Amino acid sequence: MLEAWPPPIFDPAGPYAWPITTLSWVLLAMAAAVLVLVVVALWLALFGSQRAQAKVGGTKIIWMAGIALPVVVLTALLLYGLWLTSSLSDEIEGDEMRVRVTGEMWWWRVAYLDDEGQPVSHDANELHIPVGQPVVLELESGDVIHSFWVPRLSGKLDMIPGRRNLMRIQADEPGVYGGQCAEYCGGPHALMGFVVVAHEPPAFARLMIERTAREQAPAPGAASQGAELFQTTGCAACHRIAGTDANGLAGPDLTFMGARRTVGAGILPNNTGTLMGWIGNSQAIKPNNRMPPYPVLSREELQAITAYLEMQR
Amino acid sequence: MRAWTLLLGGLVVWTAHFLALYGVASIFPGTTIANWLVLPLTLVAVAALIFLLRRSVVQMASRDSLDRWMGRLATLGAAISLLAVVWQAIPALAR
Amino acid sequence: MKSETGFDPALFDRFPTKEERPPGEIEELERVWRAPRGWGLLTAVNNNYIGTFYVGAAFMFFVLAGFLALVMRVQLALPLQGVLPQETYNQFFTMHGTLMMFLFAVPMMEALGVLLLPQMLAARDLPFPRLSAYAFWAYFIGGTCFFMSLFFGLAPDGGWFMYPPLTSTTYSPGINADFWLLGIGFIEISAIAGAIEILVGVLKTRAPGMTLARMPIFAWAMLVFAAMILIAFPAVILATLLLELERALNWPFFDATRGGDPMLWQHLFWFFGHPEVYIIFLPAAGLVSMMVSALSRVTLVGYQLVVLALLATGFISFGVWAHHMFTTGMPTLSISFFSAASMAVSVPAGIQVFSWIATLAAGKPRHNTPTLFLVGGIVTFVIGGLTGVMVAMVPFDWQVHDTHFIVAHLHYVLIGGSVFPVFAGLYYWTPMMSRRPLSERLGKWVFWLMFAGMQITFLPMHLTGFMGMPRRVYTYLPGMGLEPTNMISTVGALTFGVGVALFIYDLARNFRFAVEGTAGNVYGGGTLEWLPNGLYAARSIPVVRSREPLWDDPNLGDDVEQGRYFLPGTPTGQRETIITSPIRAEPQYLQIMPGPSVWPLLGALFTAGFFLLLTIQAYTPAVISGILAIPSIMRWLWETDRPVAKQEVDVGGGIRLKTYATGPSTHGWWAMIMLLIVAFMVFLMLVFGFLFVFGVHPEYWIDFNASGPALPIAAVYTAGGALVLLGRHLLQREGSTLWSPTTQVLLGCLALAGAWILDFALWQDAGIDPEASAQGALIMAFLSLEGFLVGVAVLMGAYLALRTSRNMIERPRSVTFDVTMLFLVYTAAQGAASTLLTRLFPGGL
Repeated sequence: MLEAWPPPIFDPAGPYAWPITTLSWVLLAMAAAVLVLVVVALWLALFGSQRAQAKVGGTKIIWMAGIALPVVVLTALLLYGLWLTSSLSDEIEGDEMRVRVTGEMWWWRVAYLDDEGQPVSHDANELHIPVGQPVVLELESGDVIHSFWVPRLSGKLDMIPGRRNLMRIQADEPGVYGGQCAEYCGGPHALMGFVVVAHEPPAFARLMIERTAREQAPAPGAASQGAELFQTTGCAACHRIAGTDANGLAGPDLTFMGARRTVGAGILPNNTGTLMGWIGNSQAIKPNNRMPPYPVLSREELQAITAYLEMQR
Repeated sequence: MRAWTLLLGGLVVWTAHFLALYGVASIFPGTTIANWLVLPLTLVAVAALIFLLRRSVVQMASRDSLDRWMGRLATLGAAISLLAVVWQAIPALAR
Repeated sequence: MKSETGFDPALFDRFPTKEERPPGEIEELERVWRAPRGWGLLTAVNNNYIGTFYVGAAFMFFVLAGFLALVMRVQLALPLQGVLPQETYNQFFTMHGTLMMFLFAVPMMEALGVLLLPQMLAARDLPFPRLSAYAFWAYFIGGTCFFMSLFFGLAPDGGWFMYPPLTSTTYSPGINADFWLLGIGFIEISAIAGAIEILVGVLKTRAPGMTLARMPIFAWAMLVFAAMILIAFPAVILATLLLELERALNWPFFDATRGGDPMLWQHLFWFFGHPEVYIIFLPAAGLVSMMVSALSRVTLVGYQLVVLALLATGFISFGVWAHHMFTTGMPTLSISFFSAASMAVSVPAGIQVFSWIATLAAGKPRHNTPTLFLVGGIVTFVIGGLTGVMVAMVPFDWQVHDTHFIVAHLHYVLIGGSVFPVFAGLYYWTPMMSRRPLSERLGKWVFWLMFAGMQITFLPMHLTGFMGMPRRVYTYLPGMGLEPTNMISTVGALTFGVGVALFIYDLARNFRFAVEGTAGNVYGGGTLEWLPNGLYAARSIPVVRSREPLWDDPNLGDDVEQGRYFLPGTPTGQRETIITSPIRAEPQYLQIMPGPSVWPLLGALFTAGFFLLLTIQAYTPAVISGILAIPSIMRWLWETDRPVAKQEVDVGGGIRLKTYATGPSTHGWWAMIMLLIVAFMVFLMLVFGFLFVFGVHPEYWIDFNASGPALPIAAVYTAGGALVLLGRHLLQREGSTLWSPTTQVLLGCLALAGAWILDFALWQDAGIDPEASAQGALIMAFLSLEGFLVGVAVLMGAYLALRTSRNMIERPRSVTFDVTMLFLVYTAAQGAASTLLTRLFPGGL
């Protein structure tokens, strides 16, 4: 989840974020200095001595402060901004790790790609990356326009139907970084978050190996009551769990639901209570999301499904 | 009509230059062809602005007071357009 | 002194005249300009009435939209509140933005133009009073119904920017989005009508001697404002048309699965949307320039530089549209161009700010309510301008785009650059329209509440954005640390609301509408709107010899009132004003103006009915209403362009002017040219869309092998245009052979219609399917656009024939003929161009 303090824009955690933080401080200082200048000039114009007023009250100040100064400041800023823009959007080499992230109403589909660009592992609303190396994200949309934004790692980039935008992120420290959809996408756009989890490279490599293997293996808990309910009550129509008959694609992939940090696309911490509440009536938590409420399920049945999902790690 | 042409000429040149730059960047996205085309386009625009500036400076010496005023306004317009055209070209020429 | 039109400027020295005016002259003037009473007031067209109605309606929408904002702020005061359900909140923020932009800001500026310009230019009225009335009523009726959609839960909820595909039928199946598309599309038409009126007014109805160098700066601002509307609004009109076609007929302009592109909408929308900001700012800046000068009692320092700033903004603001699209993944080089232009456009703003500061320093500004609003506005606007420079830096924008930082930025710009100046203006100009001025004591309270409320709301909001809170969110999660700044913002918003409420109280207590016996020049302004005024504006139209004539000639008011200048009476016995030349304002002819009429009102009512009934899918009543609109508008036009008994009249000082003119110097000709610019811009935007979509998804395009008939069809269009030109030539050459010129026009209409039908039928034959791909949809859009023009052309031809049959078209009374000719020739040209483009591209070249 996005933590608001310290403001993430001023708390960068990677090489695609900290140059923008530096830029932000420079811009704030520039804005403050110009504002002081204007207010002082205005003060002198209204309340200054006759001499000061005579100085301010002519076309000279327009030429100096209204034209010459902006031209100098803006030229400098323009060069700085152009240099920074192009250095942050250097050519993508092609040998970076790639992940496809697809914006959906109102969650995120995640697919880790191999060297050929084929998905090897599926997930949702959570993105795992190794520390210290750039990861290229292929941003796409499944419906309307969304925008992918992890402020501590990078600026935002839109996900537009019919297009594929490429973006790089990199974290320098292990940790969990909050993200949020930044383009209005209707309904509960406000509640469309996600997390990026950065691991040390060895731990990350291990995780990927485990997950890739898990995609090919049977799912745990196949004999449980929850597994049966998952099929019979309709969960499987929209959700996929690798290694089972559940292969719905309309909703988030649940193969690693038990390991996920959040429920409801980055809005609640994942624990038995929140997960159960979500399955029973997600509409009360995130109104107008696409998952219907299940008032028919008894408490025991909910517990069973929750337990089954918690086994999926 | 001539009065208006001189008065707005500088800004019209800026507009044409801007649209031409946007055009080449859209037709050749992500290639250096666009960068190379910016240079001749900018030289043409600058030449046009210098031509306009010479005309408007001459008009600033007119005997008619309104002509002088319009000449000065046209000169200022061409000057600010010159600045904007140069700024416009920086992104392509800076690399 | 040089002359523009052959008029000898030395004749101006005859004024003020010495001789006594004949008795009864002023009574006659009053009789001619008297307004209808009671319910008849609805038929008034005089700018004093229409202007006041217009300002009042725009202010009403400001209050309504502001109320929506207050409710939204209450919802956001705490996390996960339930004050507004999600659906309602999404409707509220969409409506807040839409109302503020389309129903408050732009109409308020046009309203102030309608109200103030004739007085400032010392014209009797704007050149097309009935068009002003139509524009106002269309806006008022359409806007009110649009607002009502909130009460039925039918208000649009796709954001004021309406990005597809969220607003396509797939994701917005209800009629909510149609309300936006049809309602706003319709109100834009009214804005364009107003803009044409203002452009012609400023260029052609200035007081004699008011050269471009002596024009009040507000007139300059309105000139640029109106010209920008003509260029910018067609883009959004086309965009709304295309999206509505996509929704209603399933033509996939923006649908990526069928070769359309959602980015096309963004380009079209922001090509309008960013200039829109300056469209709102420039007139307000003009007001500030007028008021800082008047309140400091010195002429504006750097007048010429400010004129330059207005003109430069007018141009450069068209090169910044994509800075709303920095995060869409456009190529780096392209966005860098827009970043550079965004820098360039801030230079003119700097010029204006320091001109205002210099003027305040040069004079002795009095510390009254308008001055407070001006100074508060300058500080607020500067902060917004500086954050604007920040977001023009591409990488910074990647971070703060679509966060609350932008919400703060845009409110600083718009409230500082537009709302505060408008409030200053309401205090400053109320004495012109009211028996009592507004209260200075209450006014200071109003200012401090609004100013403090503004800063408390929006200063912390920058931080809210830095903390990562996106825009357009109906709530946020607890425990993230967003609570304090949001609560402060809500308190500030309520403070602002109290300030506005107090202003309304002040209005209720002190505003008493009057045309005569007004409070008058309370603040000591030096421009012509402070001349003694009646419904006919100034009694006589002065010769303007400086920028602040009232300061430079203390007797001016008296001389004007005694009728010692131009047009002291009504020589033709009708409403009239002097048409002057655009640069040096030399008198050219006397324009006869139409008086009160119910037809513009009915025309507006039926046009609004057409669009609104269409929205609620009541198709039969909509068509009936649309059909009724046509005779209403024709009926209003029927009474115009009439013969006058006297060919030439004395307009004072022994100067004689024609009472009828024809050809390129007339106000009708100019207005038609401007309308054609609008039509051309719509066409140009469609051409852009055509090429853009082809560039993005060429794989969806088919070669129809349709290029064969391209040249023949274009030839038929050209022949139609040529016939019309021949008609005009005949009319000029021979006197009054009744039918021959009009017959040529009718034959021309026939050719246009024939060409269009041929084009359409051949495309059908080629197997075009507008639902299959964006290519088909775009070709059908070209055909539809041309078909619409041809339809109007045929109506105009019929109208011309009707007038000819009543002996109303004969030399020199050919203005109706001229404007018809211009429209038809344009229709022919566009028809030929669109035939060639669609048939020769992509395969036939």
